[in-house]
Amino acid sequence: MESEGTDDYETLISTTDADLLKRSWRNEKAAPEILQFQSSLVQRSREQIQLMEETVEELIANDEDPLTVSLYQMDIDRTLFLLRSYLRTRLQKIEKFMFHIQKAEDLWARLSRQEQKFAKQSIEDLKTHLEQSVLSKLPDRYQSHLKQSVISEEADMGIFFYLNCTYIQICMFANNLISMFS
Amino acid sequence: MAKYYDIDDILADEELVPAVFLEAVNGVGLLQSNETNRIEPRSKVELPFWLASELHLRQAASVNVPPCYNKKTREEIGADGAHVDLRSRCSYFYQLGCKIVQLIGDKTIGSLLLVAFQIRYKEVLIKAHTSASILGPKFLSLLTKEETKLYDAAKSSTAAFKSWRMGGPRFQKASVLGRKRKPIGE
Amino acid sequence: MYGRKASQLLKEFVSGEPGQLTGFNNDVFAQVIEECDGNILHLQALLRKMQEEGSNNQTNKNADHFGALVHHLSLVRNKRCLMAYVYNRAEVIQNLGWTIKHADLPAAVKEKLSISENEYFGKHSSNLQSYMLDLNLDLAVDMVPPKDPYIKVRVLEEIGEVLLSDQIANLAMHSILFLKRIDAESFISQGKMEELTS
Repeated sequence: MESEGTDDYETLISTTDADLLKRSWRNEKAAPEILQFQSSLVQRSREQIQLMEETVEELIANDEDPLTVSLYQMDIDRTLFLLRSYLRTRLQKIEKFMFHIQKAEDLWARLSRQEQKFAKQSIEDLKTHLEQSVLSKLPDRYQSHLKQSVISEEADMGIFFYLNCTYIQICMFANNLISMFS
Repeated sequence: MAKYYDIDDILADEELVPAVFLEAVNGVGLLQSNETNRIEPRSKVELPFWLASELHLRQAASVNVPPCYNKKTREEIGADGAHVDLRSRCSYFYQLGCKIVQLIGDKTIGSLLLVAFQIRYKEVLIKAHTSASILGPKFLSLLTKEETKLYDAAKSSTAAFKSWRMGGPRFQKASVLGRKRKPIGE
Repeated sequence: MYGRKASQLLKEFVSGEPGQLTGFNNDVFAQVIEECDGNILHLQALLRKMQEEGSNNQTNKNADHFGALVHHLSLVRNKRCLMAYVYNRAEVIQNLGWTIKHADLPAAVKEKLSISENEYFGKHSSNLQSYMLDLNLDLAVDMVPPKDPYIKVRVLEEIGEVLLSDQIANLAMHSILFLKRIDAESFISQGKMEELTS
């Protein structure tokens, strides 16, 4: 019983990069907001993938057992999937909440350099699109994409993180009902 | 406004609510049978919630509880909640209800919403998880927008679970291209 | 009633299948903009009238003040509807960028987009491409967790000879073949192939 703490500790330090990547991926998928970019983990995973790819090429060159080769290949595939899905999930959050992320310094700092570049460009593009389609056609004092009109005291057109899952939304909705009224 | 771009929130605001003007209003074509374009105080009108609530907050009009939360609905919900046609009364029964409560603080609406939701939620889930894909459209036509969403969500998660268990194609055509595929040979 | 037309736009948007677009409704959109122009004219006229009468819009809340308020609220409401229409459509367009390259967009989908939306799609998907290029990693594949390296597919459209990552294949219509999952994925999302399961 007393060793429980040390067991946890041991699993913690023996965790491989594959496990860490899986954990980061899962966290990113489940979290409504964007999390800190795992820059060194991503870097290491990519090196790992490259190394394994070289190994596979070597195995093929040496006419190794196809089963061994395909096991290696499947391992690469899995890691690649986790990596891609992790990066993709983050980009999709950026797409959805770009105006909000841009405004909040702490969130902005969580993005990688490339993600920041992507976010900046996305904001630029969407802003241009909204301006061309709607804002330029409205009267002067209603043309901001952050304020409803010039008399708004603060940016009141924000879009904040919300859970992109209908079930959770409904649960929260029901919860609201309960907390408001019972 | 956190939900600025939320279409459901916008459409819930479009629902009509009864209101009484407390002030005169000049130069607006709100009422169709009005040639002077002036609204007199004490005029009774139905206004979309987005307008009524703002006028209410500025004491230019006073919002009343919409008829869909009246005694009759309350009694019907109490008798057989799952089969009351809420949609024809108000497509955003719950969302509008919450907004009304926040605006005019009628405490009785809250319990009505809660009771209705609890009874009907169970029914919606059971129907979504068990019935064959073609469900009598009659049941669906009773549901509010919020309930329909819930039904669809439950339905698609059941379908996803089934397809996961049975195996089957996992790669799908981009949804924007339409669901049906061209018949072969066309 | 003010704002009614604008909400029609949104009703039309939600009535479509999720993830798909109906044609951009230029007509109704223009009508809403017209309504906004009407609102601002009335608003300005009322404010001018108050100024001429020497009454202050902030302190003297007369019938003209409330008239101006109604027009202001209607403008803000119409703006919200129009913005939500364009914004929610833009979200669908963003998702498009993950599955289809700008050049591959079928004409049937293209004509549903407004001019600005078309431009936005092009810009956004090249932004996405340049991110992937920076990383030297294609993120548009591996959309579902991998099982087998190879999958069985049926070709639905004549594609012809193509250089794949491990072979040169003749992708003739109706043919059934085993392809590398990564190679097949984009053809499937474009609707040119379908996955077969035994």
